[in-house]
Amino acid sequence: MLRAGYQLLNHSPLGAAKTGSNNFALEFVRWRRKPRWLPVAKSKVFRVPERKKQPEEERAELMRLHNHYKTQLRSVRQFLRAEVVRHEETSTADHIVLTPEQEEAEYQLCIAENAAWNAKIASERELRLAKEREEKVAYVQERLDAGKLREELRRERASEHIRHEIEQSKTFITRSNLDEAIETALANPVDHNFAIDMAGAMYKGRTTQSLGSSA
Amino acid sequence: MSLSPASGIGRFYKHSAKIIRFVRQGCTNRPFYHIVVMERRKNQHQPVIEQVGSYDPMPNDNNERLVALNTERIRYWLGKGAHMSEPAAELLGISGLLPVHPRTYMTAWRNRKAAAEAEPVESAATA
Repeated sequence: MLRAGYQLLNHSPLGAAKTGSNNFALEFVRWRRKPRWLPVAKSKVFRVPERKKQPEEERAELMRLHNHYKTQLRSVRQFLRAEVVRHEETSTADHIVLTPEQEEAEYQLCIAENAAWNAKIASERELRLAKEREEKVAYVQERLDAGKLREELRRERASEHIRHEIEQSKTFITRSNLDEAIETALANPVDHNFAIDMAGAMYKGRTTQSLGSSA
Repeated sequence: MSLSPASGIGRFYKHSAKIIRFVRQGCTNRPFYHIVVMERRKNQHQPVIEQVGSYDPMPNDNNERLVALNTERIRYWLGKGAHMSEPAAELLGISGLLPVHPRTYMTAWRNRKAAAEAEPVESAATA
């Protein structure tokens, strides 16, 4: 019952169908320890574990070494403890006490240092800002010039367009020459039903009949 | 369990027992140890008070096992009365900071004995 393989004995087709697993292929080796509350196995009840023998001279030697080690370590520890105490006494890491004058002087020193730093940074900033301003002015000027150029081009293009339109308007059909235009159109019927081949030759024929019949 | 930082965020009582010991980092089949100071009663994977070294027990390409020790802090903590685990004591003994641990000698003579016993067998096998 303790073996992982006990599932094989209890194996039922129902369980396999439920889990969809093949218990013959799956064997856990990790969690098969005997629970704490189970008694000693019958086959192991009268087993007496064998004591490992330690030679007498080895035991004596180890005893001697351990005694030496403990003595040495005790003195080393004593030394280190003294060292720590000495360090704590002589160290000024935590507890420096200053007179008010010293504190004031230190404060003034800090203020002066800070002011010097501020001045240095301010001069650097001035330079940087001046440079940036110049760059900005140049940029804006450049954009303005470009805009002017663009506007000129646009005007030119527009006037060109207007000229073209005026030119075109000479052939426009207006109220005054409407009758004339109609008469011209009727007098010159145009038939657009023709074919063109790749060479550009025009083929008229057949479909011009309708035009002929209406005329 | 999430990793606790080696920088040492472990809380401790002033007079509790501290110990210098190994914390097993690394993963399966690849041990790596941090040498740390922590409260003795705590589990090894709890936050530590301070890391004072590291130990890589697997030999590298040059057949070296690398150890790093912050001896200044180890001295401080030993002076403060910190205990040492046996492997840590052995390592510190070999490093020369403390007297050599008896177990080191024991391992050495047992290894020597095993080698001496294996040698005649080998020579007999070759002869």
